[in-house]
Amino acid sequence: MDTIFKQFAEAQVKCLGYDLSHTLSPDLSHENLRAVFKSCNAHDVKTVIKRGIQNSGVGGSLPKEEVQGWVEVYHAYWKAVGELLAIQESSTANGKSSNSSWSSIYESWKELLSALIRGYLTYGFEAWTIPCLYVAGRHLRVFAIRADTERSNNMSVESTAEANFEDDFNPESEKNQMLEDCARQLNRVFNLCLSDRAPIEHSRKWGIYYVINLLFKTYFKLNSASLSKNILKALSAGRGDMPALISFPKSQQVTFKYYEGVLCFLEENYVEAEKHLTTAWDMCHKDALKNKELILTYLVPCHLLTTHTLPSHKLLEPYPRLQKLFLPLSRHIKKGELHAFDLALQGGEDEFVKRRIYLTLERGRDIALRNLLRKVFIAGGFEEPKAEGGKQVRKSRIPITEFAAAISLGSQETLDNDEVECLLANMIYKNLMKGYIARERGMVVLSKSGAFPGTGI
Amino acid sequence: MASQDAAKKDSKAAEAKPEQAVADQKPAAALEEDDEFEDFPVDDWEAEDTEAANDGEGGKHLWEESWDDDDTSDDFSTQLREELKKVEASKKR
Repeated sequence: MDTIFKQFAEAQVKCLGYDLSHTLSPDLSHENLRAVFKSCNAHDVKTVIKRGIQNSGVGGSLPKEEVQGWVEVYHAYWKAVGELLAIQESSTANGKSSNSSWSSIYESWKELLSALIRGYLTYGFEAWTIPCLYVAGRHLRVFAIRADTERSNNMSVESTAEANFEDDFNPESEKNQMLEDCARQLNRVFNLCLSDRAPIEHSRKWGIYYVINLLFKTYFKLNSASLSKNILKALSAGRGDMPALISFPKSQQVTFKYYEGVLCFLEENYVEAEKHLTTAWDMCHKDALKNKELILTYLVPCHLLTTHTLPSHKLLEPYPRLQKLFLPLSRHIKKGELHAFDLALQGGEDEFVKRRIYLTLERGRDIALRNLLRKVFIAGGFEEPKAEGGKQVRKSRIPITEFAAAISLGSQETLDNDEVECLLANMIYKNLMKGYIARERGMVVLSKSGAFPGTGI
Repeated sequence: MASQDAAKKDSKAAEAKPEQAVADQKPAAALEEDDEFEDFPVDDWEAEDTEAANDGEGGKHLWEESWDDDDTSDDFSTQLREELKKVEASKKR
């Protein structure tokens, strides 16, 4: 405990929020946790902490109520440390019957977060100390996930031991019980930061993006990404007196932009999604491979639909997983291999669905079709030159049967001319192909200037 | 400018103790599911450490056109002709 008070005083004197937040870290070695917990007991802990803070060197300069607030914070911390220690010791002693569990750690850590929130609301904690909220919030989420896993493990043991007779038992809603509670707690922190009316340089609004990112992660894990929209709405309503995103640390900016991009992506707003994801990509730390891989997972399908471009081998080189995901599809799109594209999409369906990109990639079929039709156009060759040395003009009248034959290449299935016409009409509607269908003659008449817009012919 | 001071203070604190930040992050990372955005080991970094500054030429060459004119379209046209013949033949039958 004495080390903590020493660090506390140093951080308080220099107003270093991150240094202060380290005094509340649960990631300590077993010996350190032990040392903290054994330095006092349940009876004298409050007195010890109070004395510790008062004698730490800043005690005198802190307002009395603020000292009281910190006493409560460290008291909660001490209790949580006790729980952590108990679970560590029970796991080393291999005693399954221990009373401590991740859910009791979660509860005690929640107390710590509440004590902090009270600190800001009633005891006048200053805004520079907000990294303490980061540490509390970040670990609350971790503990919630562990508690949920632990409970579902226990539950599966029980349900095999005795048949489950309860009819109204809903495992889905129970599964993430703690994490859902955690989302509510983080929402309190969000409002605590959002509603601060202090002048901006002393405002808790500087904590907003860290908390939002934690909430996004939580909502995505809960499979309720749509709740993130409420956060964005609240944010944009208060944006007027919010510091600009660009003045926050890059880690927070990149994370925020990633989630904002994925949210747009899920709403099929690919233009916006591409903008946000590109910002995240450009600003991302060059060595953060895992995060770069995640950004690309969504940026690649975006690019395919918005600019009709594909990732180069060079781009995907460092990511074997993305290569597996995207290279076969890209190759088939490029070559216009429609049937092979369908097979590759089917083959990867589970993986694509899991990553929420199936529907988007499916739309890439249009590009594969465009490329196939384009090949038919090129294969048609040129008109007989009307005059010597005249400019070569591609044959712009193509029989529908040629397109039909090309589409069924490789699939062994023949389509009706009606179906083919329908596909062609769609291509024309989507401006992937320019021209018209002359039904009575069974011909497609393509534009002489740019039959396939944006592809050079 | 006062508004930026708080952010700077934050980032300086993180720079001063990068190794501690890394240590903080590890147990959490072990728990993360494979599709979750990870915490960065450091809070902030210089422009020269960003992806944009390291992919050369503004990243333009990382994306390529979606069509491919390199493969000999002659192969394709022969294939197409054959397919057409097959279609014709099956219609006559």
